[in-house]
Amino acid sequence: MTEEQNIQTPIIELNGVTKEYSSKKSFLSKAGTSIIALNNISLAIQKKEIFGLVGQSGSGKTTIGRILVKLEQPTKGIIKLNGKPANSLKGKALENYRSKVQMIFQDPYQSLNPHLSIAETILEPLVVNKIGNAVTRREKVIETLEIVGLSPGQEFYHRYPHQLSGGQRQRVAVARAIILDPEFIVADEPTSMMDATIAIQLFQLLLDIRKKFKMTFLFITHNLAAARFLCDRIAVIHNGVIVETGSAEMVIKDPQHAYTKKLILAQPGFNFKN
Amino acid sequence: MALLSVENLSVGYKSKNGLINAVNNISFSIEQGRSLGFVGESGCGKTTLGMTLMGLLPENASILKGDIFFNDHNLARFNDEQWRRFRGKETAMIFQAAMNALNPVIRVDEQIAEVIEIHNPLMSKTEIYTQVKKMFDLVEIPENRLRDFPHQYSGGMKQRAIIAMALACMPRLIIADEPTTALDVIVQDQILKEIKKIQKALNTSIIFISHDIAVVADVCKDICVMYGGHIVEKGTREEVFKSPRHPYTKALLGSYLSLDSEENIKVPEMRDSPDLITTTGVCMFANNCNCKSQDCKNKTPGWVNLSSTHQALCFEEVLNKDKND
Repeated sequence: MTEEQNIQTPIIELNGVTKEYSSKKSFLSKAGTSIIALNNISLAIQKKEIFGLVGQSGSGKTTIGRILVKLEQPTKGIIKLNGKPANSLKGKALENYRSKVQMIFQDPYQSLNPHLSIAETILEPLVVNKIGNAVTRREKVIETLEIVGLSPGQEFYHRYPHQLSGGQRQRVAVARAIILDPEFIVADEPTSMMDATIAIQLFQLLLDIRKKFKMTFLFITHNLAAARFLCDRIAVIHNGVIVETGSAEMVIKDPQHAYTKKLILAQPGFNFKN
Repeated sequence: MALLSVENLSVGYKSKNGLINAVNNISFSIEQGRSLGFVGESGCGKTTLGMTLMGLLPENASILKGDIFFNDHNLARFNDEQWRRFRGKETAMIFQAAMNALNPVIRVDEQIAEVIEIHNPLMSKTEIYTQVKKMFDLVEIPENRLRDFPHQYSGGMKQRAIIAMALACMPRLIIADEPTTALDVIVQDQILKEIKKIQKALNTSIIFISHDIAVVADVCKDICVMYGGHIVEKGTREEVFKSPRHPYTKALLGSYLSLDSEENIKVPEMRDSPDLITTTGVCMFANNCNCKSQDCKNKTPGWVNLSSTHQALCFEEVLNKDKND
């Protein structure tokens, strides 16, 4: 892996990132206690790679996602986008960073504003970043809707989230994430609320987008089977520490760490034992 | 005699566009101590079925026809008062959203004591709390956590408390509607083990509803696959999951990612769910099926017996045509 890194700079890099949450002194609790959510996390994601982050609830996987899109600041450590440190970005530079790093959230029923039409939802990033005019924006939205499989785009343009199914809503979230041509997308359990048939279609969409736009993804999940289907490499995280990293195939076929083995055993399957 | 037997049950919702046939002419039965799993995607009617069996249908829904026999009672004819006495005692439900199923301002042990108290008005306080402790023991929540409030519990512990509540009156049938959907795999694994252990210990019957076929396969020995309000295939789990015959079951299994099924993943095409208002008398899956048989769009499919326990709602020539797919 080190050789690879010498050849090209990773799109995104975390170096020794630690995140500590401390509860403040308050009326009810006297002493401030702190929780270490992430402990010395280092990872590097290459261009066009889909990198999986696998772990159970509370392992810190979502915190990594939130640090990468700069919704959280790390307590210690460095974030780099294209080799440039991104910890203390402000103003224009931060806006620029956020347009390059996008996020797809877990629950499409909560991540879309019910008052905004599909068009308004997807347009918003273009308006915020002052890209194009009314005509070109409309074209861009329709084009993006068709890319994510909501075609014909005109038909979905004026609809509202309540008129769409869960799978279609998540496609709207994907459209919103890709409309600014970002370099890197964090997908935080995008299919955990979906049926198998709908989930696999969304995975296929992410793979298509990666191919078409050379997009890079961080895919956060607790489902190892999904991670293997989608990811090139995966990292297993437990209690804020990355315990194992490797190619998706190898980690699942030949797990080294006890926790990875436990995770694999817990995956439901079709070998009827009892 | 079966503990529960459902015969030709149909349930509909009134809507401004017409009657939605959410559950359509389904029949099944379950013996004491057995576990029966219902799988299918969102909108296939599996939750409506669970709610019907618990007498918890919303205002705009009603049983259109059919019978639900539980021992000597016909639940389809129950009034509210009869349901109140029956529910929680004879059958209990483990709900989907454990996070929301507990009252946040009442201590956990009191919430479970309440269930016992209502169904056993003659029991003394000490007896009730002995029973509560027994239940917590069964689901492996330590005794010093009994007096906690729900927010002090983790997701897995809340789900355990919900199970304890369902078990409180030793019901003969438990309906579990997606009990592990919001949990991560490790906790899910623990809860499924818990459910299996309890079922064995108490000889309870379980109806297990989920969209996750591997979870259902883990808990249940018998499986019903639902699509568009109908049961489309039923059989033992080996029959349904190892040699599926209905085209929908095949599509469902073909798109499921599990650690031992990577080679044959097929990504199904994007398709609309069947219209439950207008579609009647034909195969619900016809528009999405690859069988290209003309019968599906004109005729009503019937039950085809594949073995003494394995049946599919389809046409014989379709089942035979792609037998070797």
